[in-house]
Amino acid sequence: MPGQDGERLYVATSLADALAALAERGRTASVLAGATWTMRAPLRHEPQDLSYVAISKIDELRRVEVLNHEISIGACVTHAELANALAFLPECSALVQAAGNSANPAIRNVATIGGNLCASAFAAADLVPALICLDAELEIARPDGSERLTVERFLEIRSDIEPGRLVRRVIVPRTKRRSAHIRLPLRKAGDYPVASVSLAATLGPTGIVESARLAVGSVEPVARRWPLLEAGLVGRALDPRHAAEQAERLCGDFSGRDGIEAPGWYRVKVLPSLVRRAVLALQEQS
Amino acid sequence: MSEPSTATMDFPRRDARDKLQGRTRYIVDQGRPGMLHAVQLRAEVPSARILRIDTSVARKMPGVRAIVTAEDSPARHGIGIADHPLFATGCIRYDGEPIAAVAAETLAQAKAAAAAIVVELEPLPAVITMADALAPDAPLVHPDWRDYEVLLEGGAHAGNVAWEATVVRGDTDAVFARDDVEIVDSRFRIGRQNHLSFEPRAVVASYEDGRFHIETSTQVPWTVRNVTARLVGVPASHVRVTVPAVGGGFGLKFDCSLEPFAALLARAAGRPVKLVNSREEEMLTCLSRENAEIRIRSAVTREGEIVGREAVVLMDCGAYGGEQIFLTTMTAHTLGGNYRLGSVKISTRAIYTNTAPNGAFRACNGVYNTFALERHTDEICAAIGMDPLEFRRRNVLGDKDLGATGQVFEGDVLRPMLDRMAELREAKTSKKHLAGERLYGRATTVGTWFIFVGPSAATVNLNPDGSATLVTSGVEIGSGSMMQSLPQIVASTLGLRPQDVVVRTADTDAGGFDVGVGGGRTTVSLGAASLAAAVEVRKKLLHVASDMLEASAEDLVLENGRVEILGVKGSGTTIEKVAERAQRVTGPISGSGAFTGPGVAAMPGCAAGHFIDAIDIPVFAVHDCEVAVDPETGHVEVLSYTVVQDVGRALNPRAIYGQIQGGVVQGLGYALHEEISIGANGRICQAGLETYRVPLAQDVVPVEISLYEGAPSIGPLGTKGAGEVPILNVAAAIACAVSNATGRRVQEIPLTPPRVLELLLGNNQPLDFPHIADAWRDNAIAAGV
Amino acid sequence: MSLRLNVNGEDRFSAAEPLTPLVDVLRDEFHLTGAKIVCREGFCGACTVLLDGRSVMSCLVPVGLAADSEVRTVESLATDGVLSPLQLAMEQHDAVQCGMCFPGMLMSLTSFLERMPNPSRDDIKAALAGNICRCTGYERIVDAALSVVRAA
Repeated sequence: MPGQDGERLYVATSLADALAALAERGRTASVLAGATWTMRAPLRHEPQDLSYVAISKIDELRRVEVLNHEISIGACVTHAELANALAFLPECSALVQAAGNSANPAIRNVATIGGNLCASAFAAADLVPALICLDAELEIARPDGSERLTVERFLEIRSDIEPGRLVRRVIVPRTKRRSAHIRLPLRKAGDYPVASVSLAATLGPTGIVESARLAVGSVEPVARRWPLLEAGLVGRALDPRHAAEQAERLCGDFSGRDGIEAPGWYRVKVLPSLVRRAVLALQEQS
Repeated sequence: MSEPSTATMDFPRRDARDKLQGRTRYIVDQGRPGMLHAVQLRAEVPSARILRIDTSVARKMPGVRAIVTAEDSPARHGIGIADHPLFATGCIRYDGEPIAAVAAETLAQAKAAAAAIVVELEPLPAVITMADALAPDAPLVHPDWRDYEVLLEGGAHAGNVAWEATVVRGDTDAVFARDDVEIVDSRFRIGRQNHLSFEPRAVVASYEDGRFHIETSTQVPWTVRNVTARLVGVPASHVRVTVPAVGGGFGLKFDCSLEPFAALLARAAGRPVKLVNSREEEMLTCLSRENAEIRIRSAVTREGEIVGREAVVLMDCGAYGGEQIFLTTMTAHTLGGNYRLGSVKISTRAIYTNTAPNGAFRACNGVYNTFALERHTDEICAAIGMDPLEFRRRNVLGDKDLGATGQVFEGDVLRPMLDRMAELREAKTSKKHLAGERLYGRATTVGTWFIFVGPSAATVNLNPDGSATLVTSGVEIGSGSMMQSLPQIVASTLGLRPQDVVVRTADTDAGGFDVGVGGGRTTVSLGAASLAAAVEVRKKLLHVASDMLEASAEDLVLENGRVEILGVKGSGTTIEKVAERAQRVTGPISGSGAFTGPGVAAMPGCAAGHFIDAIDIPVFAVHDCEVAVDPETGHVEVLSYTVVQDVGRALNPRAIYGQIQGGVVQGLGYALHEEISIGANGRICQAGLETYRVPLAQDVVPVEISLYEGAPSIGPLGTKGAGEVPILNVAAAIACAVSNATGRRVQEIPLTPPRVLELLLGNNQPLDFPHIADAWRDNAIAAGV
Repeated sequence: MSLRLNVNGEDRFSAAEPLTPLVDVLRDEFHLTGAKIVCREGFCGACTVLLDGRSVMSCLVPVGLAADSEVRTVESLATDGVLSPLQLAMEQHDAVQCGMCFPGMLMSLTSFLERMPNPSRDDIKAALAGNICRCTGYERIVDAALSVVRAA
């Protein structure tokens, strides 16, 4: 029975089991997925929560289902699995690039999409802006059912989610679009990005951008869309230079976070270049 | 005698196989029956008066077996001046300073008890930067300096200047006043560098039969022996130090560190004690390469002659003097090196701050002084309109030229090395095309470093099975010298195969005194001692063999495990048989050897406060690199890297190539990625590897290498150490290339993307050092000049 | 409560608290000290082991999540004293210096080469994005790995 053994880690075997274990433990328990963020709590000098309910062994949370109208990604799908599962879908390039280049290979083998979304103190998460640009939603399971909300909405409320709930899956709608995720690590790879830009756009028959969603990660504490720039991209053909010029003009929309690895001004200053590269990447997809 | 030809080979290292199977037991992997685990309680403020330390509650906690504090170790140690107590005594001088150490049955119990120690502090003002420390009314980090024991006379001290070394040769005032010279004035600032040896500082200590046995991850067993004895308060002979495989050193382990804490706890608890620094402790209290601030001015004629040079180098030693006291000496040979100077004045000052103490790191102060000197040199070339390669070719030190302290250099080395680099540049296609739309730059730089000679001892035992055992206090830190060059030297002297030479791991109860493994001295100093020991063995061996073979010893040769009569193959017998016979007739054969630096003369009166006035074995390096700079993000990519290195003679070329590739990459980290910043609270911001970024596989290129052999050296068989110097002019080469690519004046490293972008945008503040006086003499306490 | 792990082909049991990092159980309980603890934050790769065939940082895996899984450590690579081709190549290329990173390097590369048998030099370097070496400057490690690919 959940919670009976007094252990600090309960490994749930099904979603119902996990929800029951969480309900029983109330505020003393947290959800544990890939554990890569939680296991570093001692280095951040954070007290570790009293106990954890692990959900990574729950089969349904580990599945990626590609349906006609949407893609359903279980919360415990790892970055590596995600990059692999969607590699054949050009419309999901942003997500594939984000999942396939984050951190390093051994971390990608363990870190999950659910964990990436829930680690609210992790500003540099790669998947978050990619999911925002793909207009993704997620489903939260609770003891009495489930609710669906957009990733953007989730980011607003994630710190205040009631105990006993967990992210069950992420849903990415399928549309005919191009997308790209451009990340800027300080080394060639192996770092978290100091800034990232995720862009998705649908093009009309003549190559005119009909709709665009662009999200910026790591620049501010939480990834978010760049609505003014999106508006500037719509109604014209993909034009990397023009996009970069607009980004340059609109950079004041962002207030970069100062970090040990990079000052805030730098994160903002590189945005036009990342935007240019993202638009170029879309241009090169056909 | 030993023939260089028979000592030269790509002998593989015998420790590779166990290391590849995860079987090697570094200190961090070791355990003992009944072993306790220890932690240190460290200060979390940079400066405070200690009002009270109460360990009474902690002592009663579960599993706690011993707690020690300053009361248990009243002595001080240091280099030049004994300023450093084991525990914070009376006051806290840096964030991270040890206050107490606890040994308990488990690490968790030790941590819990450390957290329960009550420490009452009264905050004191702190000096965090060197500018703070040199401000007119700065609080003193060591107000009681005059009470400390002086270990070497001659260093000037005042205020927060812990030590000052000066060079004065010639009249710079006169040449700077000439109207036919261009005066070039440059300033540079350089951050700290963490060694990031994969094995942290770690020790297992025990107290048996009235003596300490310290098993530790160190480069300097004898320093550990002597300093531990001093701090624990026992005769040095009461400390035995042994060293297994060391998981990386790079200079971090060139000082005593954790050993006395573990020793005190082991004696108090009567049980073995293991103390290992966490990575965070290593990041926050690492004996880093020091941060430095440099001003250098030169008077240069239009024809490119450097008629005068004045420099001030400020080195941050942190809260205690440590290695920086010694390293003030090195500026004369690094910043004052490379080039012929008509006249020169240098003041190098180690400055106390309320920050973690710094230490030794591969090519120590050479890397940043070479960066400053080579960038300054390029600024000179720009000012007088001379090609940088041509300027260097004209001005590098050659045969009979005078160094900064008046030492006479022997042989033309740097000039032919520059020529060889020019040939390599010609022969290879430039990688410029890889830069694409990015900014492209290239630079060639020169560097001067030295071999840190000093005393070494060795014993060679010839065993009756025909093998030999080499006993020294040398340590295998990864560079391979103990596994490759030393057995090669002994084997070639005795006609054995290197695999038949057993190299004893360091044990101060077995091997004689040694300065330690570092400073490029292993092959040179330990090699010379080993060679001398082997020569003695050879003499005894030939004596016995000459009886056996009825031939004169001069007519005998040792090769392939046999003694042969010269020119007659198969005429002799095996070394095994000779050794066997010797055992019966004369007793077992052994030989001992010793070495120390001969001491090269400087010009009298030029150098003050120096530990060595001249360098016994100079080592030179010429580096060339091509870079691409992303104008939008400031990322620097290294496109090609080429090294011409003076090695004297290469005994194991393949091993040297490995050292050069590794050293250059460590230098790339220093030049481009590895940044340490210190907060206003005196704490290092980069607490782990997320923020302290070293180069990864994708950030590096294969280094093109040309070994320059034949330069004069007193090393055995003409060798010079090859492992330390590869890092020397990497930051210089990268900075000059980035400067050339961007057209901007590079004054600071590391050249991280934000710093480069700032440079490209012109947003960086030009460096100004109000704490470096405009007139050189005002930066020298002892300048009676 | 006891956890069962299959370590290098053998069932092992641990009574460790389930949030204990796997690397501590391997080293302290099973005396498999090949995997090294260097950063404990997933950036150095020295503790890399294979968990059900995938490379993972064993400092970040709670042992409770490794229960009933297969763990392969560097100690498993050589069989009956015969080095694996990758280990042999490292030895023959004189790639080893201090040696602390090699247990992790070897496990990352072993897992990578099992999945991608014909990689380029760049692929190998990318596969090592989570493995720091402070001594060698990497190129010789990459040379050795490439030589195994070419020999196969």
